[in-house]
Amino acid sequence: MKALPRASRLIALFCFSVFLLISFTFTPSYAADVGNCLLCHKYPGISRVDEEGKLRLFYVNESIFSNSVHAKVKCEGCHTDIKKIPHDVAKKVDCLVECHIIEPSSEKKFSHKDVKEFLGKSVHGPIDKEGKEKKYIEDYPTCKDCHDNPLYRPLSFFKKVRPGISEASLGRCRVCHKKEEFIYRFYNHVTTRLHKSRNPLNIAEVCARCHDNPEIVARHEMSTKAVFSYGETFHGKAARFLDERVPDCLDCHISKGESVHQMLPKEDPASSIHADNKGKICTNIDCHPSASPKLAKYSVHAEFNLKQSPAQYFFTVFFIILTGGTLLPLMFIILLDIIRRFFPNATIGRRK
Amino acid sequence: MATSTENIADTPDTAETDDYLTYVEGVGNIPRDIYKHVKSDPLGDLPRYSMHIVIQHFMTFVTFLILAATGLTLHFADLWWAPYIMSLFGGPDVARFIHRFAALLMVIASVYHVFTIGGGIIYSLMKKKFNFRRTQIPVLKDIQDITHDFKYFMGKVPHRPKMNKFMYKQKLHYFAIIWGTFVLITAGTTLLFPEFMSTIWPNPQFAQDLARLMHADEAIMAVTVIVFWHWSNVHLVPGRFPLQWSFITGKITREHQIEEHFLEYLYNIEEIPEEKEYIKKVLKEKGLSTD
Ligand code: HEC
Ligand code: HEC
Ligand code: HEC
Ligand code: HEC
Ligand code: HEC
Ligand code: HEC
Repeated sequence: MKALPRASRLIALFCFSVFLLISFTFTPSYAADVGNCLLCHKYPGISRVDEEGKLRLFYVNESIFSNSVHAKVKCEGCHTDIKKIPHDVAKKVDCLVECHIIEPSSEKKFSHKDVKEFLGKSVHGPIDKEGKEKKYIEDYPTCKDCHDNPLYRPLSFFKKVRPGISEASLGRCRVCHKKEEFIYRFYNHVTTRLHKSRNPLNIAEVCARCHDNPEIVARHEMSTKAVFSYGETFHGKAARFLDERVPDCLDCHISKGESVHQMLPKEDPASSIHADNKGKICTNIDCHPSASPKLAKYSVHAEFNLKQSPAQYFFTVFFIILTGGTLLPLMFIILLDIIRRFFPNATIGRRK
Repeated sequence: MATSTENIADTPDTAETDDYLTYVEGVGNIPRDIYKHVKSDPLGDLPRYSMHIVIQHFMTFVTFLILAATGLTLHFADLWWAPYIMSLFGGPDVARFIHRFAALLMVIASVYHVFTIGGGIIYSLMKKKFNFRRTQIPVLKDIQDITHDFKYFMGKVPHRPKMNKFMYKQKLHYFAIIWGTFVLITAGTTLLFPEFMSTIWPNPQFAQDLARLMHADEAIMAVTVIVFWHWSNVHLVPGRFPLQWSFITGKITREHQIEEHFLEYLYNIEEIPEEKEYIKKVLKEKGLSTD
């Protein structure tokens, strides 16, 4: 579909806003919606067919947004180019802008710039050590390839540790802090980070976008479709059923205590998966603390194809042949037996 | 009398020899198709399995089904039905416990079986009664039986071979189970105790990989063999449908014994006086008696 000419789109926007102003009484919203963007964006139908013919939904669910980690950030804090209402077509959001929020420990304006630094030095950084762009730069992930707007996922610590908010703990905060909104926010803020915010399967899905894409795997000479091969092992299979106890991509690919954005290639001696460091992954206190270093040789990404591990490949073929080779002749005997029992007098050739 | 039966067992069953009648001393000539005229209790007439074997079979088949259901659900975790089966077992944590507990029972059943068989052999050796023809030990005759049976299925010979207590199918199946149980137990142990087993295996990485493959592949193979082979053999084949009770009663029907385990039947006649009287009576009624 052809895009509407710009002028008519502005007219449409304008009419729409006038319509809204007339038809609806003003309700104050409780997210940090200073520019009142939700006045329009709270309506589920708000959408447009874009230049590529895809339907784009511009609806923002306020209750979900106010439960997300960015709830305190004003809409304009990220959509910085929107300065007037009705507004023009918006630019893409830059995740690294400085926002008006002050980070309390350093009292500086907050931004995610540090993450970019970490990411830049990792295997996923698009610039190599000499400062040149790497080949196939479009394959390297940016913030928005791995992230959407995450929701809080608080932990309850009363008697038992489980996901959710503990009213009992909230009661304790109330002893000293008076503002309900503050208490909820920071309870969520802290406890969400005390466990993983995504389960192993979600994490694998993020990585699968690239690491299960055969073209990207081939272009960058990686030996395996990493998420597929993870799913072949019991780690990956268990990830479908069990919770955070199962090792996910990050547990193995991040050295303890470092940012998840500092993933390094296996050739790098500082990387957690470097041959010399691999043993430490397995002997993690929560995993196989008593494992011998030999266990670390286990191929967590084995694919059992002819190229990657011929021994295992032939072994699988052997089993297929063994299964077929025993079953088919046996089935044949049964079939003959049954035929004979149903037709006791049938013969092939002549009986003497 | 003992010699007469042994002679029969030694005679190779070739299609050419006309062995329609089998002479048994004190009974007379028994025609090969006498099983069509005998009376059979569907629950079984003649001893086949001891109580120990019945218990072992029970333990093995119940644990096998549980192990397959819980294990294959994990193996096929990404298929649509997996989560439903998993919740049927009470969730992944319960299922994994059930799987391990059932595995333990199956190991116990296997050890129990080894002791029963080993003890049985020692006992009969001491009593000088050991007879390898009545065991699962494969012999040349099994191959001859297969060819003979094939000829029978093709209509080239009128009767099935005279076979021992365990016929070729059962021996094949028995050794398939021994192999399967061995593979599953070793692979399962390697998976369950990765830390410890990696200190035992010469090449732990390879052993782990193989264990992972073998455990699943062997399980799938076992399930297919049980469903398509064992179940059709013991339940679906006409004459056996819908169920043989041997797995509970430990007894085989007279008709089945004579048809498929004729040589074992001759031992039965020799060892069980009532059976001898019975078969004499049948022969007399049919006018086949020689005395
Ligand atoms: C008067 C109603 C109204 C208000 C108020 C409003 N918007 Fe919109 N917004 C729209 C409409 C209508 C569209 C779809 C425009 C189109 O058809 O392209 C839209 C589209 C958008 C888009 C997607 C643009 C694109 O093409 O990618 C963004 C981002 C956006 N709005 C952000 C905001 C923010 C941030 C605010 C608050 C500062 C805001 N809007 C306030 C009506 C409004
Ligand atoms: C933390 C930063 C941030 C905040 C705060 C934020 N947004 Fe967005 N918004 C984004 C990003 C990132 C996108 C994805 C499109 C892009 O890359 O620009 C987006 C996309 C949108 C879109 C268009 C969806 C599309 O398909 O293109 C709308 C509409 C929108 N935001 C409205 C809002 C409104 C209304 C608010 C305030 C309630 C808000 N946003 C607050 C970051 C933010
Ligand atoms: C390769 C994928 C990937 C890329 C690219 C990436 N991240 Fe992340 N990021 C993750 C993962 C995985 C986590 C772990 C947290 C989780 O469970 O979601 C994370 C965590 C974070 C966190 C901490 C979240 C929390 O609540 O603890 C922030 C902040 C963050 N990323 C910001 C960014 C920014 C900004 C960029 C762009 C410069 C970026 N990330 C790029 C994968 C990525
Ligand atoms: C015994 C009283 C007390 C209790 C209970 C208490 N706080 Fe505090 N809290 C304080 C004091 C006093 C400060 C400021 C002093 C400081 O910075 O050390 C503070 C500071 C904070 C800050 C930092 C604010 C900033 O901008 O520097 C956060 C966040 C916070 N509390 C959250 C919580 C949460 C969530 C709970 C409940 C789980 C809680 N507090 C329970 C007394 C308490
Ligand atoms: C149990 C730990 C573990 C988990 C879980 C894990 N990995 Fe790995 N990964 C490793 C190790 C160790 C290596 C190094 C392999 C080697 O030395 O051959 C590796 C290698 C890789 C490689 C490089 C492959 C190559 O040789 O080019 C990629 C890409 C990768 N992992 C991605 C992932 C992704 C994506 C996930 C999540 C789906 C994941 N990994 C989960 C341990 C793990
Ligand atoms: C947008 C695509 C993209 C996403 C999403 C992505 N990666 Fe990558 N990843 C790459 C590319 C491209 C490379 C190859 C980098 C190179 O060789 O320079 C790579 C390399 C790696 C390597 C190093 C492989 C080696 O050679 O040792 C690891 C480990 C890795 N990624 C893990 C992850 C994990 C874990 C995630 C999910 C949290 C993830 N990646 C998400 C594109 C992506």
